[in-house]
Amino acid sequence: MARFVVRRLLVMFALLIATTIVTFGLFTLIPSANPAVLIAGRLATPQEIEQINVEYGFNKPIYVQYVKTMKNILTGKAYSYQSGFNVDSEIKAGLPATLSLALGAGFIWLVSSIAVGTLAAVRAGRLTDRLLAVLALTGVSMPVFFLGAVLLYYLGYKLNWFPLGGYTKLTSNPLQWLKHLILPWFALSVLFIGFYSRVLRSSILDSVNEDYVRTAHAKGLSERQVLVRHILRNSLIPIISLFGLDLAQVIGGGAIITESVFNLHGVGELARDSIQRLDIITLMAIVMLTAAAVVILGAVVDVITAYLDPRIRLMT
Amino acid sequence: MKRYVKPLGAVLAVVIAAIAIGACGSSSSSSSSSKSSASSGAAAPSSSSSSGTITLAQGVFPQSLDPGLDYTTQGAETNWLVYTGLTTYAHTSGLASTKLIPGLATALPVITDGGKTYTVTLRKGLKFSNGKPVVASDFTYAVERSIKIPWGGSGEFITPNIVGGAAYSSGKAKSISGITTNDATGKIVIHLTHPYGAFVNVLAEPTLGLIPAGFPLKVQPTSPPPGVGPYKVTNIVANQSYDVVRNPLWPSMNVPGIPAGHVDVDVKVNSNVSANALAVLNNTADVFDWADTIPGSLQPQIQAKASSRFSFINLGGSVYYFFLNSQEKPFNNQLAREAVVTGLNEEALSRLGGGTLVPACFFLPPAVAGHPTSASCPYGTPGIGNLAKAKALVKQSGEEGAPVTVWSQERTPRLQWGTYYTQFLNSIGFKATQKPIADATYFTTIGEEKTLHPQTGFADWNQDFPNPIDFYGVLLTGGSILPTDNENFGETNDPQINTNAAKYSAISTTQLQANSTQWQALDEYTAKKAYVAVFGYQKFPKFTSSRINYGAALFNSIYGWDFTSFELK
Amino acid sequence: MSTTSASGTDFSDSAPAGSAGDGQALPAGIGPWALAWRRLRRNKTSMAFGGLFLLIVVLCLLAPVYSHDVAHIGPAAENITGTIKVGGKTENIVSLTDIPIGPTWHSHYFLGADELGRDVAVRLLYGGRNSLEIGAVATLITMIFGTLLGLAAGYFRGLADGAIRGVLDVIWAYPAVLLGVTLGTVLAVGSIGPLHGTNLMVPAVVIGFVYIPYVAKPIRGQTLGLREREFVDAARQQGLSHLRIMGWEILPNLASTIIVFIPLILANAILLEAGLTYLGAGVQPPNASWGTMITDGIDQIPAAFHLVLAPGIMLVLAVLSINIFGDGLVDALNPRAKVRISLTGSETDDH
Repeated sequence: MARFVVRRLLVMFALLIATTIVTFGLFTLIPSANPAVLIAGRLATPQEIEQINVEYGFNKPIYVQYVKTMKNILTGKAYSYQSGFNVDSEIKAGLPATLSLALGAGFIWLVSSIAVGTLAAVRAGRLTDRLLAVLALTGVSMPVFFLGAVLLYYLGYKLNWFPLGGYTKLTSNPLQWLKHLILPWFALSVLFIGFYSRVLRSSILDSVNEDYVRTAHAKGLSERQVLVRHILRNSLIPIISLFGLDLAQVIGGGAIITESVFNLHGVGELARDSIQRLDIITLMAIVMLTAAAVVILGAVVDVITAYLDPRIRLMT
Repeated sequence: MKRYVKPLGAVLAVVIAAIAIGACGSSSSSSSSSKSSASSGAAAPSSSSSSGTITLAQGVFPQSLDPGLDYTTQGAETNWLVYTGLTTYAHTSGLASTKLIPGLATALPVITDGGKTYTVTLRKGLKFSNGKPVVASDFTYAVERSIKIPWGGSGEFITPNIVGGAAYSSGKAKSISGITTNDATGKIVIHLTHPYGAFVNVLAEPTLGLIPAGFPLKVQPTSPPPGVGPYKVTNIVANQSYDVVRNPLWPSMNVPGIPAGHVDVDVKVNSNVSANALAVLNNTADVFDWADTIPGSLQPQIQAKASSRFSFINLGGSVYYFFLNSQEKPFNNQLAREAVVTGLNEEALSRLGGGTLVPACFFLPPAVAGHPTSASCPYGTPGIGNLAKAKALVKQSGEEGAPVTVWSQERTPRLQWGTYYTQFLNSIGFKATQKPIADATYFTTIGEEKTLHPQTGFADWNQDFPNPIDFYGVLLTGGSILPTDNENFGETNDPQINTNAAKYSAISTTQLQANSTQWQALDEYTAKKAYVAVFGYQKFPKFTSSRINYGAALFNSIYGWDFTSFELK
Repeated sequence: MSTTSASGTDFSDSAPAGSAGDGQALPAGIGPWALAWRRLRRNKTSMAFGGLFLLIVVLCLLAPVYSHDVAHIGPAAENITGTIKVGGKTENIVSLTDIPIGPTWHSHYFLGADELGRDVAVRLLYGGRNSLEIGAVATLITMIFGTLLGLAAGYFRGLADGAIRGVLDVIWAYPAVLLGVTLGTVLAVGSIGPLHGTNLMVPAVVIGFVYIPYVAKPIRGQTLGLREREFVDAARQQGLSHLRIMGWEILPNLASTIIVFIPLILANAILLEAGLTYLGAGVQPPNASWGTMITDGIDQIPAAFHLVLAPGIMLVLAVLSINIFGDGLVDALNPRAKVRISLTGSETDDH
């Protein structure tokens, strides 16, 4: 157990370093990302820019700057170049919205995928299956911002059923919190449901041929019992692994498009803004958040799959 | 197999319930106009106009609510009411709102010594919003902090103009030698390095609004300094919202000409500008930020549903143009530049902007004294443009087929303006390609003059103050060309403009009305030389919910919405 | 996309087509490829949608013909202040508040105009060409590099495997959209080598790069299994070089996996292009693509819904067709077999 945790921590550390080096490196290639100019703003004189270079240490070699930036971010003392906002508090401000989006949508898409995927597998080859396939694949084929914009206009403005974007804290007004999140949850889930249900379906159909299923039938268990107690348990394994990864990416600000369309002011929207502003510090912090989330959730997922499939447990 | 439908049924039930909640909730959210769906904890308004909270939907978060840093219209819109300077602007509508009035000073500065010495006296009994009394030396501190942070405009408007400013900026001096104050009498004397007629306006900038001496010299974005003004800012949530609330100490200070506010303003920032417009239309938000663009596609229904609270106002202080680099091919050729100005279809550009542009050809916009009032445009009245003549001019110039890179921003309609302009250049004989850059970094990108030398592209300027030196000194004189962070994108370096602008810059803003013929002549000269292809002055949306007394709501020509004029019906 | 396990149907060339062990000749059977093709053909839905996709491709390739002979206008030709006769009335192509006309259902402006007065139908086809081209190039990049890296990592193991997996993990942990937008921004503002911002190849390279781990990881997994098989041992004992073993023994066995990936990556690449363009990092104007058309059209939803509907439907139809065809392909190549190519994870890109 300890070895497992230590190994994961090492992986996380390595991943954090690697992803931040990549980000830092990419931005040094852009001349207009000159941090002194970003800090000085428009109309700055060459003298002012030079002074900023000296004061912030932008003349020093790149690796020195990189280390200093990482130290600042990890100790909570990193400040965005253009606005001076504390980067860590900016991210903290965005986390409630992103977490609400991720966990809510995650729950919806997981439950729906299991339902749809199981139904499609059970009715494989028949009309229901084909319909569900087309429905699922349509969801996967639609750009989220297209779906989101249309939903926002027709359900939000024309019918006035939902607010026009924005985010309300759960603690201040639970009903408004819910209303603000329903459309984003739906838009984000539609994509995943399509995919996960297809995966589950083929996973279930594959295991129908497995030995343990035949054994279970031979033991006299009913169809339903076989399905729930044995097939689903194993078929869920690929789903759980994916779920961990996808959820981690959404938490780390990967749902940029959904957050932008609905103005959720989460980490994703912050990521988009920082890229456009060439705000490398905020971006590095967000990248680190994603990497950490990926590793942590990956570890959680591994534990769960080990529980679900004893064969895996034996192997680790 | 009924059992397996259960999970699906449960999900369906949740979804249906959600829609039901949404549908039931909608009737209450649209009828009760006192609650905006986006705000948390809005105060319940009374029916009288003297209390209450309104919501302002803004599309871009200000660079900072700390006046030592902010150099954006979004920030200035709030900051000028929070940080009153020694001078300020009249709280009225139209062009009269560019008139300078005393702010925290007892009267407008007495200017002596050939325009190089400014003397004012601070009003007595002033207090900051945190209750601390104001003293004269607080002004010096505000100047120093503005130079230290640095404020975007300090290098242009402050540091070189005040004696000792440059020494303080470079760290050689510990304070600014050119400012002397007397806390006992409240007298402030400022010595300038040269007669700079716009200095009265610079004193009105929020960045020179008085703040307590000793406040941290580093920018404080979430807890900005206290100021003296009708409003103060609280509850700043980065990138999301901030509250501009009435300063309870203000009314008792009895500063003439600057009214107290009637309502508090909760500003909510959402980049989806269409949603903001729809919210104001729906009365779920109260005010649409003046600096945002209402999509043309929404105008018909806004016009139909809300014509009594919607209109476009030409504030007269902004100019939209394509710069033409007179140091680089092909636009170093006068004929090539004339071709552009002759053929440009300003009507098309206005339509792309949703019909919100006033076609124009002169660089100085109407609110700035010096805008030519009697001359006609040298290359034809702005309209749909003369393509045939433009093509002929290009041929004549010998620059046909020259490759041109057109720089543009990315948001609507600036992207479309760039696309149209590129296509236009191609149609008159150039080989143009468009290069869009993200808005947030556009100006600093094309400002890399040393490495880039941009040939042509979009630029705009909204007045800092109604003195032509704000336009010429920053955008068109040879001295304003900087290796980085350049604003004279066209690298215009014309001796006539250089000498005359320097000469006229000595004319004080307060004397400009009577002395505008010189600036007018210079502006007509600029138009003839076609250094820039002006294509319009922007009209801004005055759009509120039905809760607001629309007739009483005012635009200031420089700062847009005047929050002190908002009142509930 | 996560791991694969050993394959069921054996597509390697070394599998004999139907022979028994006791010397008696069986009637000539049908090889596994032919069988798969037959299964695919019988799947009417997949074939229908495959055909639809082909139709879309052909239509888009015919864009110049349409533009020249039918609409008489190019994709970039603007007409902001012009007028057109519709049903006897003369109308502004673009209104005074920048609202363009809707579909005229005639040869000029068949599907209406956009806010710059350009012909939507013409741009739809040219844009389709660009979107499909970007998708194809991206898919090519992903498949080539993904296969090579996965093959190398799985075959050589050890240090090479560790290094490759490290690189893949970094790309993998970086959310695809973020990576795409960052790379796209860097290349738009600066340039890397010959790639400049407005070149169509920039989004193609970015998208292709982003998907490499999704292909490389499963290929690696499968290679790890395959290298332990007898025929690989036999080849090694014969003294064949590593390159020959990888190319002639292992690679053909990966064929079905590779084939199944292609439509998947293509569909996702087209969607990612739209997403990146929405965030400003994909195709740059004035180049048309379905992504730019949808993005530009979103502001016009209240008054000119056709601007977002036309490219939206085309995009969804194209991607859907590829997906349904790809689905049929999976079923045809591995009917109810134990191949678990989990087709996933890439969805994080488009949200």
